[in-house]
Amino acid sequence: MKVRLSTDLLTGALFIALGGFAMAYGSRYALGTAARMGAGYFPMLISAGLTLSGVVLVVRSFFSASDEIAAIGWRPLVFVLAGVLAFGLLIDRLGLLAAGIVLVVAARLADREFSLVETALLAIGLTVCTAAVFLNGLGLPIKFLRF
Amino acid sequence: MDVLANLGLGFSVALAPMNLLYGFLGVLLGTMIGVLPGLGPVATISILLPFTFSLQPQAALIMLAGIYYGAQYGGSTTAILVNLPGESSSVVTAMDGHQMARQGKAGLALATAALASFMAGTFATLVIALAAPSLAEVALQFGPADYFSLMVFGLVGAVILAHGSVVKAIGMILVGMLLGVIGIDVNTSVPRFTFGIPQFGDGIDFAVIAMGIFGIGETILNLERTGTARAYVQAVKNLWPAPHELRAMVPPACRGTLLGSALGVLPGGGPVLASFSAYALEKRISREPERFGKGAIEGVAGPEAANNGAAQTSFIPLLTLGLPANAVMALMIGALMMHGLHPGPQLMRDKPELFWGLVASMWTGNLMLVVLNLPLVGMWAKLLTLPYRFLYPAILLICAIGVYSINNSALDVLVATVFGFVGYLLYRLNCEPAPLLLGFILGPLIEENLRRALVISQGDPSVFVRRPISCTFLVLTAVLLVVLAAPMIRSNRERVFREGGS
Repeated sequence: MKVRLSTDLLTGALFIALGGFAMAYGSRYALGTAARMGAGYFPMLISAGLTLSGVVLVVRSFFSASDEIAAIGWRPLVFVLAGVLAFGLLIDRLGLLAAGIVLVVAARLADREFSLVETALLAIGLTVCTAAVFLNGLGLPIKFLRF
Repeated sequence: MDVLANLGLGFSVALAPMNLLYGFLGVLLGTMIGVLPGLGPVATISILLPFTFSLQPQAALIMLAGIYYGAQYGGSTTAILVNLPGESSSVVTAMDGHQMARQGKAGLALATAALASFMAGTFATLVIALAAPSLAEVALQFGPADYFSLMVFGLVGAVILAHGSVVKAIGMILVGMLLGVIGIDVNTSVPRFTFGIPQFGDGIDFAVIAMGIFGIGETILNLERTGTARAYVQAVKNLWPAPHELRAMVPPACRGTLLGSALGVLPGGGPVLASFSAYALEKRISREPERFGKGAIEGVAGPEAANNGAAQTSFIPLLTLGLPANAVMALMIGALMMHGLHPGPQLMRDKPELFWGLVASMWTGNLMLVVLNLPLVGMWAKLLTLPYRFLYPAILLICAIGVYSINNSALDVLVATVFGFVGYLLYRLNCEPAPLLLGFILGPLIEENLRRALVISQGDPSVFVRRPISCTFLVLTAVLLVVLAAPMIRSNRERVFREGGS
């Protein structure tokens, strides 16, 4: 029997994995009693609920058809996430100018139409403009340059 | 008259020059971002949140509310001109509004949307002023058990009105609640699910989650969609409607106002439900239903009035009960908490100038929207012709700086990256992310009230049915669940959404 990768099946599997993990990890917190709840009581309740809704979804996916998962566009996904990630890694080390430029360039790489000159101008222009708004306009304590 | 005195106090706050300025800025920025295709109010508010962090609570709240109306109106502008509705409440506007634009009546459609929204905004402001005090009075008598049941009721309501699968929506709420657990438990001082990272002790900021899912995640999704729609920009002229056109738009706007204001108060209600229902209503009572979908002015006036009315009255449960009815209100409650304010019945009693200032600013905000948009609509239309390849890097940059600026924490940016991925994944799995945000906001409150109620009753769970208020909410919740299970009503609900979506 061929298992269709329906959205219900995948969502259900995700809920079970997350709920199961939370129950296992959360078992280190004291449960307590209903009158004196420990730190683990409520998380256990909701992660059990989450696991249960995951089971319902998985079971249902075998009986009724749901949409199959659409193709994933890897290019935007990878480049956008990489850009934001790089921003987070660079902001404290090199300052806003460098982090911003890297983010914009990575973001533009997510698009198939890519022009080097345009991207360079956009990266510098956008970073300087947003820096003017956030740092000078709103007075946020972020370093523009850092070496 | 109490109401007049209260509104007087409110207007003295709302009309203070600085507050007017922040309201204006909010409406302007909200429209500017909201007009961009693919960005609805939730995404717009998430992206613009950091602009309000450094303000006083009063000004921040007024600005946020302004951003909300602006985003809503911006979404309608896009729906009419490009047929690319930013979010689901504008889907309905696109059906007839875009047809009007194709027939060269874009100006009339935009004016109809603006005037109908203003009318509904004025009415809904009065509804809030009249209804909120008595509701807050009642809410002051709520005990922990009552609050617990109220919030369960609110969450179940949100599930029912979410599109798509109910089980998925319940799961999303639970995921949100689980995320809300992260941090040091207030009762036992045990750090929960922090994985040894000290910064997680205070929990994850809701703004990091919102910007990750709605700012970054939606941008990735928008990038996948290829093909650009043509904007009917050149057709924008003749904004002011002729007398016979005004006559045609007033009755549907009135009906939409009443329907929307009523539906906005419901948990899980709000603009989306209101605009779909208003469209269905107009189509049903029309003598020529075949005109709908081909540029009927009623199909713009009714839903636009309804969604603005609902946008406004959904503040009622938030401000009087502390219960966010939808994702936008969850963002509002989160923003209030960042300023150290806890929405609920005490807010009106302890900070009347804040409460009434916000109410009055709703009206001034709506007025600004009309004044701003009728002359500026040409500029918004130009913004629509900007290529997306210039816009999305700017959106990502604003999100990244915004996330970093909350705590000056690079770790927050990394967490937001993760939520960007999560957001993208959820869209791909056809899971609405809005219930996650509601669960995240309400989770800690539900836990707190559950604990307190059971401490008071010494562990006896019957307290939830013995207290009349709590019992009422639980009965209502049960009724909602039965309604949900009834196949007839379920297919009806799907039909309403499908009619709108097609």
